[in-house]
Amino acid sequence: MYKNNVFYFLVIVIIGWNTSVYSQQDNIAWKEESHVYTKVLDAPLKGYGLGDSTSLLQLAHQNPTILALIFTRCTGICNPFLLQLSEKLEWEIEHKNFNIVVISFDPRDTEADMSALAKRFHLDQEKQWIFGVTDSIESLNKSIDFNPIRDETRQQYDHEALLVGINSDGYITKKLIGMRSTSDLALLVGSIYNSFTPTHQLPNKNRLFSCFNYDPKTGKNTPGLGLLFIALPAILTIFILFTSNYLGKSERIG
Amino acid sequence: MESLKTRKITSVWIVIVLALFIVAIILGILMRLNQGTIIQQSPVTFYGNMTTHGLTMIGIWFVAGMAAVNYLMERYVKTSYGVNLFALICTIIGVLMLWSSTFIGHFHAGWTFLYPLPFKVAWAQWATPVFLSSLVVLGVGWLVWSVSLMSQILKKYTLSQAFAWQHFKKNPAVETPPFILITMVTLVGVIACLLAAVLLLVLLFAEYFSNGSFVNDAAAKNLTYFFGHTIANEMLYLGLAVIYELFAEVSGRPKWKTTWYVAVAWNLSLAFILTAFFHHLYMDFVQPEGLQIVGQLASYLASLPAAGVTVFSILVAVYRTKINWSLTNLLFFIGVAGWVIGGLGAVIDATISNNFVLHNTLWVPAHFHTYNAMGNVLFSLGFFHWFAHKFDVGFYIDKNAMLKLTLILFGGIGFLLAFYIGGADSIPRRYSNYPPEFTMAAPLATVAAVFATFYLLAILLFFLNITKNV
Repeated sequence: MYKNNVFYFLVIVIIGWNTSVYSQQDNIAWKEESHVYTKVLDAPLKGYGLGDSTSLLQLAHQNPTILALIFTRCTGICNPFLLQLSEKLEWEIEHKNFNIVVISFDPRDTEADMSALAKRFHLDQEKQWIFGVTDSIESLNKSIDFNPIRDETRQQYDHEALLVGINSDGYITKKLIGMRSTSDLALLVGSIYNSFTPTHQLPNKNRLFSCFNYDPKTGKNTPGLGLLFIALPAILTIFILFTSNYLGKSERIG
Repeated sequence: MESLKTRKITSVWIVIVLALFIVAIILGILMRLNQGTIIQQSPVTFYGNMTTHGLTMIGIWFVAGMAAVNYLMERYVKTSYGVNLFALICTIIGVLMLWSSTFIGHFHAGWTFLYPLPFKVAWAQWATPVFLSSLVVLGVGWLVWSVSLMSQILKKYTLSQAFAWQHFKKNPAVETPPFILITMVTLVGVIACLLAAVLLLVLLFAEYFSNGSFVNDAAAKNLTYFFGHTIANEMLYLGLAVIYELFAEVSGRPKWKTTWYVAVAWNLSLAFILTAFFHHLYMDFVQPEGLQIVGQLASYLASLPAAGVTVFSILVAVYRTKINWSLTNLLFFIGVAGWVIGGLGAVIDATISNNFVLHNTLWVPAHFHTYNAMGNVLFSLGFFHWFAHKFDVGFYIDKNAMLKLTLILFGGIGFLLAFYIGGADSIPRRYSNYPPEFTMAAPLATVAAVFATFYLLAILLFFLNITKNV
């Protein structure tokens, strides 16, 4: 009896511990999977390099598009983010015809501000780079699940360095958050051309009952709680089988 | 011997199964006519019909096998009439709820209701909980029925006797009839897969009512196919149990006995059939590759013991032997052929290298319609026909036997060929309307609908003939 209670206690502790670990991971802002395969807002655009297009979807319909969100008065990640993007996408741009649309999410930014930004990065002569602003920035942010938070004290935004891949049908194919490697950017470019890319699920709420948990650092799968659900029917069946046999024993003898 | 009450309830099962079968065939024909652009259904109607058609077919041929096994089991052990009635009531309520959700609520997530489709509500809000509840009602009824039958077997036979383990050695002291062995092996599989369905439904309900999002897509898919694939196979085994019991009897031959190879084959089948469902997850690369290999191996191995032994037994029984051929054993014989051909189609698709080409093409409905429409259905029709006429006074001659067989074979083969040719042509399945790029898709669908109509005529004749007698 005592041993049984210890066993049950340990099972509860292990499950509880697993749950709490995954819950903590949920709080990390892994949002790259949100709004993927949904249509992006057809935001009206004004700015540099737009040509005949007047909206985001019009641009996407012409060429698959990568959307980058920054603001010109940014003292944080925006500048290194854009610089790294221009360097790492250089090879892709030479071989594929897609747009890189840089939009400001700060309502104070104007077309002139964005044009100046393009010149500062020497991207003003690059026809695939488009710099602009939109009147519908809040709706656009909502449609891609981008949530910059204004810090009035610093006159800055707390925000992620977000890249959104949009295919020519206007659907979000992939999102990347942060300064990412060339191979990640190549996957993003591949996705906007609708090429299939195997990816492993990132830690999120649905991971609690995963059959296997993928560790991106080691590249290995480890058994998860979901595997127990797959094994449970067989375990319960064996239990029912032996219980029925035990109950039937008395009638057989009788 | 079977009681009068068991006979009556079996009659009710037969009438219900045949009536629902006719409706489900008509839905199938309408779907093919829509794909052939002969009629126009909205995608909502098409996918609603597809959901109803799939689940109804799986359900009715499972209960048909269970009703037949329950009836024949009375020869060996007493079965519970109350549980049989409970399963019947649950089935009627479950089907009514299911049809309400699809026909009135327009639920149309497919018979596999793969997560998260049931929660992407594109139908009446109430249809999702009613659909899931219908599965709970059906699952509970069938689970109780299966556990009850298994318990009854274990009241007469020990566990090892029920699985015929004593037959692994020579001259066993106790003989286990093949019917008991196959039923036992099948019921264990049925209970496991129904429990998988219960677990899946618990998870889905928990998520639905908590507005959470904790169900993992791959785990839900594993459970769905643990249930779906396994029950679709186990219901064939129920039919085979009936054949092992009745084929020799209606053919005027000595009753089949359990030999060592029959015992080994069916015990192996139990293990393999429970792991073969991994072949539904070949495209789920996030799972370890080892599981995909297990899926392919189990698919090969699951088909060999049961099929090999059954085909061998049937061939030995008829080869150069005087057989009293009747519609019953002809249906059994042709049904085994259909089962084997469909099984080969399944093994071809379950081979990983082939699956890259055939995955989600019309090859998939081709093979499962073969072993169902030309296999399992014929097993049950054979039983229904035998059951309907076993109480006839005097010698019974079925004047329409050849007509019915001809219609079934002509209609069935033509209908299935359209699927196979479409699959070989890489025409995808589950399209309500085909894009013009698939030039052969619409003509093949129309041809299939025409042939399926002949098959339907045969079933109508069976319905009229059998229901008149039961």
